[in-house]
Amino acid sequence: MHYIPQLIVDALLLGGIYTLMVIGLALSFGVTRVINFAHGEAVMIGAYGAYTIALVSGIDPLLALPLLMVIGCLFGMALFKVSIEPVLKAPHVNQILLTFGIGLVLQNAAVMIWKADERSVVTPYAYSSFQFGEVFVAGGRLIGFGVALVLVAALFFWLRRTEFGRATRALDEQRDAAVLVGINVKRMYALAFGLSVALGVATGVILSFIGAISPFMGFHILVKGFAIIVLGGLGSIVGAVLGAFLLAFAETAVSYYVPNGTGWAEAVAFAVLFLVLVLRPRGIIGQAVAD
Amino acid sequence: MARQSNLMVALGVLSALGLVASTFWDAPQINNWLFRVSTLIMLATSWNLMANAGLVSLGHSAFWGVGSYAAILSANAWSGSVLGTLVVALLAGALMGLIVAAVTGGLKGIFFAISTLALSEGLRISALMLPDVTSGAVGLFLRQDLRPSQHTLYLVAALAAVASVGVAILISCSKLQFASRAMRDNEAAAQMLGIAPRRQRMIIVAISSAMASAAGAINAWYGGYLDPEVAFTLHNTILAQIAPILGGIHTLAGPVIGSFAIIALSEGTRIWFGNMEGVSQMTFGLVLVVCILFLPRGIEGVMHRRKKRQATAGAASPALATGRGGKS
Repeated sequence: MHYIPQLIVDALLLGGIYTLMVIGLALSFGVTRVINFAHGEAVMIGAYGAYTIALVSGIDPLLALPLLMVIGCLFGMALFKVSIEPVLKAPHVNQILLTFGIGLVLQNAAVMIWKADERSVVTPYAYSSFQFGEVFVAGGRLIGFGVALVLVAALFFWLRRTEFGRATRALDEQRDAAVLVGINVKRMYALAFGLSVALGVATGVILSFIGAISPFMGFHILVKGFAIIVLGGLGSIVGAVLGAFLLAFAETAVSYYVPNGTGWAEAVAFAVLFLVLVLRPRGIIGQAVAD
Repeated sequence: MARQSNLMVALGVLSALGLVASTFWDAPQINNWLFRVSTLIMLATSWNLMANAGLVSLGHSAFWGVGSYAAILSANAWSGSVLGTLVVALLAGALMGLIVAAVTGGLKGIFFAISTLALSEGLRISALMLPDVTSGAVGLFLRQDLRPSQHTLYLVAALAAVASVGVAILISCSKLQFASRAMRDNEAAAQMLGIAPRRQRMIIVAISSAMASAAGAINAWYGGYLDPEVAFTLHNTILAQIAPILGGIHTLAGPVIGSFAIIALSEGTRIWFGNMEGVSQMTFGLVLVVCILFLPRGIEGVMHRRKKRQATAGAASPALATGRGGKS
């Protein structure tokens, strides 16, 4: 039981990164109602972007972050215009398979460019660690948590305080009314999608220095992301934050207390996903399940 | 129109016979291609059955994997034959389908897709973490003394593929077809019409899952080796959906046409690009994107449209609008 302070700290740090990982997914779904099965690939591309910049020019991933996010946002908006906009009104099966296909293309483009090996970016802070009393904190994770916190706070500020942000929320809550008051739906959709990709890219940049990255990382991130937003409630951004911390605590607890826990911790997300879908498909604070 | 559908039936029967007959022809490379086409036809037909009922599966590798393990484990434990273990795999698959249908209850669209995706990943991790049952990451070999001749497996695969399409045809002639279509369009309305969506869904998912399981089982006999990554590889999930999409979703011929096209495509990319990593998967992704954006009815749809245009030009009759209804 003496692990408890360490467990809480580890889970909190993980939860912060999970929050950043899913908040883009929740944002783009909330606004466009298209669930992006390629979100994990946005994270993966962000990680490789940071890796490549560090390799070529030696620039620290944290300095490259703003640039990569801007590129990610523009790329996301373009992708939305070209591929997702045409299927907005199509059956779900088309949207699911389309975004799944985009993910597949990006994943294998990465395999071709960077090869399938695992890599990571070595920064001065990546392997540093601090000790507070009995609790150890890995420097890379702490910095990652800090960046995630700033970005999530910025997103909330943007959603609450700016014109665009309010329009985004209006679309999420009252689509028809939003159209009636003159919100340019298509532009807002593209913007929300671009932002969600930018947030995914930022997650990747953080992951590039706290662990190994590979072209196949996106898929695991995607499934974990689903578990989190289903747990929190599909379509709720606050729910996604809650879900992220709950999953982080559950996973950390399993890896601490269950024999062979680190292996089983990977399965927690699937168990959670399945249980929530069966017991309470609307999640903690989500809306009713509509198809 | 009647002549045309007779032609289609004749073509179908001929290609089925051709596929079965080809296994008696000793041409290992071609046999191997047709074996892969056969198992893919089963997988794709199975996926299409669920899609017909509005259920988008992103977890067909789960059903495939369960069948693979059921076959190899039962063969090794009881010195089972190919057919014996095929029955075990079918039962295991059907049971799994029943559980999935019962558990996912009324979930549709995105939610069903996500839960199947999670199911296959969950099973993969469980298989990895339970080495007492599955030998975990070390892998599991089929006992050498049990291995049948390659020809037996080619034949079993070809017959099973024909049988799968047969099952799909039977379903398309039965009440289940209308129930599926009503469920795909509007489950609530289907219920009002007196269709019990839950029961129909359980039947469909069980049949479809058993079919994919059987494909996995036959493939496991062919490969003779399993580990969690091989059994539950995402690759099968991708193949299962891409073949019907390319061939023509919600049609009988679509998954079959798509299976031939996909195997041709993957062999083609292998020949053109060698074994360069990622190329064939990338091609699959591109096919998926291009089909959804530009060819939502797949190859079958293109052929149909052309035929329809010719027919309209010939007879100058607009009465062909019903032509598509019977097939979907």
